[in-house]
Amino acid sequence: MTDIIGRRELVGFLGPVTSLMAFGLLLPLAFITYNSLGGEHLSLKAYTELFNSALFLKVTWTTIQISFSAALLSVVLAYPIALHLSRVSDRWRPLFMVLVLLPFWTSILVKSYSFVVVLGEHGLVNNGLVALGLPRLPLMFNRVGVLVGMTNYLVPFVVFPLLANLLGQSLELRRAAAVMGASDLRIFWQVTFPLSLPGLLAGGIMCFVISLGSFVTPALLGGRHDMMVANLIDFYTRESLDWSVASAIAVLLFAAGGTLLLLLGKVQGSKSLI
Amino acid sequence: MDRVAKDGAFAQGAIVIALATLLYLYLLFPILIIAPMSFGNRVELVFPPAHYSLDLYRDYFGSQDWLLVTYRSARIAVLASMIAMLAGVPGAYALARTEFPGKRILVLFIMSPMLVPLVVISLGLYLYYLRISLSGTVTGLVLAHAMYSVPFVVLTVRAGIEQLDERLERAAVIMGARYFRVFREVVLPQLSPSLVSAALFAFLMSFDEVVIAWFITGPTTMTLPVKMYSSIRWESAPVLAAIATILTVLSIVISLVGVALTRSRAAPK
Repeated sequence: MTDIIGRRELVGFLGPVTSLMAFGLLLPLAFITYNSLGGEHLSLKAYTELFNSALFLKVTWTTIQISFSAALLSVVLAYPIALHLSRVSDRWRPLFMVLVLLPFWTSILVKSYSFVVVLGEHGLVNNGLVALGLPRLPLMFNRVGVLVGMTNYLVPFVVFPLLANLLGQSLELRRAAAVMGASDLRIFWQVTFPLSLPGLLAGGIMCFVISLGSFVTPALLGGRHDMMVANLIDFYTRESLDWSVASAIAVLLFAAGGTLLLLLGKVQGSKSLI
Repeated sequence: MDRVAKDGAFAQGAIVIALATLLYLYLLFPILIIAPMSFGNRVELVFPPAHYSLDLYRDYFGSQDWLLVTYRSARIAVLASMIAMLAGVPGAYALARTEFPGKRILVLFIMSPMLVPLVVISLGLYLYYLRISLSGTVTGLVLAHAMYSVPFVVLTVRAGIEQLDERLERAAVIMGARYFRVFREVVLPQLSPSLVSAALFAFLMSFDEVVIAWFITGPTTMTLPVKMYSSIRWESAPVLAAIATILTVLSIVISLVGVALTRSRAAPK
């Protein structure tokens, strides 16, 4: 068999992309690890400082709570969409896919700005409530605002793996259940849904990991008491100029995300990553 | 046929369709709201606007500041997507057509900008760029955005390569063509739809990117998203509605072209 690319040429093909990643990703990651360990004089000071910091512990707890709720909500919201997409005919699917792809490709800033306008004190929703003679509700700069913004961003990330799972399920299983006299609802609960659990879990973990690192949404829609880890990194970098602490937080965030993604690899089988 | 229909009866039932419709609306909601509002007036953003005008668009196109950052973002995005394509396309080809030890690790490495939290990468770049004097420079931003766009280029192009008939390339190799010539004369021409959509997506990735840019831009390299971010955070100026709508139209055009190109490729099969 003739190889299409020779061994020697492989370096030529893969060299540029590998160098770009080494420069733009590997070196910066190495650099924050180095910084978190105190730079030239090796120490764990930044880490001990963090674990004794009430602020860090509070922000971490908030981040976990928000990420967990956002992931759970996104999974719930994504399910009907994926189910609908999986059953619509092949001819129509691309059209409905566009309804998910458009938001997916819409800038997070556009979405956040839009929710600022809609959820603000004098926003669309509150003006509507007032027009109906109801009191205004605090919908922004709190948990509600963050979760609305995050789920709106995250739902497509669950739809794609879930849809792949639903389309991959054997039709024969559902047919068999139907022949045996199961009702549609029962087929769904006892065949389709249990089989979709790996896809659901994969989407959920993905959302959780993305939420852990989210920056724009909590900064624009979250409240002062709902700071998330990414914003804390920004705070230490820009305001208190404590780069070793900022780096230590980044290393911990990276480690947490990495561990969860490895778990995801186990759930989905390693093919999932590409 | 009727049994197939029955299989989907629940999923095509009224409840699922109603829920799915609501949720499509929820996903599209930000766009559906902001676009009409952008045609309102500059005093107060209301939905639906009391009377329609192009005031906010006039504000945008009349503002040197906004136009300058837009132009700068576009220039950075063009350069970043070019570098991402130059690095990503040959890489994607090699990954699709060869097996070698350590390939899975390399794939993971190349895909990692999608997996590592952006704020971690951004802080790393910030500190590293300070050290090598690239912070606040266009070069630094272009390289960072190129790195960030590469996974999308590799994914899109690799999907395109999977549709190609490998035998054509093998034939060319047997006929004595050199590897790079096969790539240039046999592979690339067939790949053009994927290449166009990969380049467009890479452009959009960079043009819209805010977190990395927030960390590594200086006063003379501030990009459109960074200016938008600060503006939403501190003043929430109505002109943002017009800018948001323009950005959305850009993403709509790019994702529609992307979908159309993927479809046309799949069609002849």
